[in-house]
Amino acid sequence: MNSADDVIAQAPLPTPATLKARKNLFFQFWRFVVINLRMIKMIRKGHHPMERH
Amino acid sequence: MKKIVILGAGIAGHTAALHAKRILGKSVEVIVISPNSKWNWIPSNIWVGVGKMQPDQVTFPLAPIYKRKGITFHQALAKNIHPEGDTTTANGYVEISFTDPTRSGEVAKIEYDFLVNATGPKLNFAATEGLGPDGHTVSVCTSGHAVEAASALTEIIAKLKTGARQRLAIGVGHGTCTCEGAAFEYTFNVEHELRAAGVRDFADIYYITNEYELGDFGVGGMVFTQSGFETTSKLWTESLFRERGIHAILGAHVEKVTPGEIHYEQVDGAKGILSFDFAMLLPPFRGVDLKAFDKTGADISEKIFAPSGFMKVDADYTAKPFEDWRAEDWPKTYCNPSYPNIFAVGIAFAPPHQISRPRKSPNGTLIAPSPPRTGMPSGIMGKHAILSIKELITKGPNAVLPSASMADMGAACVASAGSGLREGSAAAMTMYPIVPDYIKYPGSGRSAPDTFGEIGLSGHWIKLLLHYMFIYKAKARLGWSLIPE
Repeated sequence: MNSADDVIAQAPLPTPATLKARKNLFFQFWRFVVINLRMIKMIRKGHHPMERH
Repeated sequence: MKKIVILGAGIAGHTAALHAKRILGKSVEVIVISPNSKWNWIPSNIWVGVGKMQPDQVTFPLAPIYKRKGITFHQALAKNIHPEGDTTTANGYVEISFTDPTRSGEVAKIEYDFLVNATGPKLNFAATEGLGPDGHTVSVCTSGHAVEAASALTEIIAKLKTGARQRLAIGVGHGTCTCEGAAFEYTFNVEHELRAAGVRDFADIYYITNEYELGDFGVGGMVFTQSGFETTSKLWTESLFRERGIHAILGAHVEKVTPGEIHYEQVDGAKGILSFDFAMLLPPFRGVDLKAFDKTGADISEKIFAPSGFMKVDADYTAKPFEDWRAEDWPKTYCNPSYPNIFAVGIAFAPPHQISRPRKSPNGTLIAPSPPRTGMPSGIMGKHAILSIKELITKGPNAVLPSASMADMGAACVASAGSGLREGSAAAMTMYPIVPDYIKYPGSGRSAPDTFGEIGLSGHWIKLLLHYMFIYKAKARLGWSLIPE
């Protein structure tokens, strides 16, 4: 196998702006809302007990 | 009055018990048999394992909840299933041995009309020599194990503070393990704690896994759409490893653990030794030690259990090449094919095959992440088993049962990468469906709009929200059934 560390060394690094955005309270609150809505949509898609086998 | 017996009170079993009483009310007697007196929100054991939570924050006693809901609870271990009864009774029954300290040593026969097997796994530390709390590594599989892990980590941090360089190995302890996501979470939480303690520069962290590539998570990886491009969970995870300076050993089967050394073999047959000062390795799972007997007392365990010890359900268990595996091989009703009044849900059911491509080393060692079926899918299966039982009670044995295939069900995985309301981080991922369907979704096998990942503080808030929300739900408080599984 290729050394995993060699592969990891080629992976893209987040920019300082991305790292900052990951901790920014306002941006993250927005992402919190968006991710939750996307999760609810995905969950609703999977909850369909009336579909019969 | 019909009797529903539920073996296990984890996410699948407890969900089934609460829904059984909610949906079927006083028309049924619901009996839960679990060797543990407490319910455990296992995803938060990660935080217990780094000392950020105490065990009583992730567990609570089951007996008061069941008393309030009118559910009978036996703190006991199920030993044998007699699905046909015996010479004295035609009813199926389960033989149990009490673990309740006040009834220790007592045994009993519990008859049932419907049986839901939700025992979860046996933590098979014995599969790898030297693995586990009785060996040379710690675990976060139970809250008790996680406390030991936190204590060992505290000692390591103390040594790091003296300037002594330490190596931490975190991952999975066998080629067929599952729950790589939990090992991933623990890795990044430990890294986060070391940074918070100001000792990160003295620590070398290794992630050792049976995954062939990072980001596989036992589900064959995921394809995400981000900023107008398709990217993979592989690249995404590698980026996180690079950012946090964590080493990885991939495609590894841990052969044995000796004091301070992990001996492993990789997919290409290469053997290696990873020395460590601290090691948290998750064990492989197998079915619990349940046996089954027919009316004459003959052992029929092989008829209803797969060789892995998990219970056979309505899946296609025909052996075939990886390329021939199909989404429709996966079970829909979780009904045992030999005994239609027995269901197996959560980890207790035998999956028809892996989701991630299994591999063998040139030495013949199987290195194949097992399919994850914990958390959200477990809860959905538990609820669906009860919906099926309702159909069978009201419409008889020919009732059409509701479907809950993992090939038609999504999952949310929020992998914590460090706790703290302002400093925390997590990788929030969702996938739909869990088992790829290459016919319905050509290419990645999954729906692109419903499969995504994002790293940030918001992920930590979601993980924290799930912690409180699911403990609230499990305590069956007002409106609990409105919270989805």
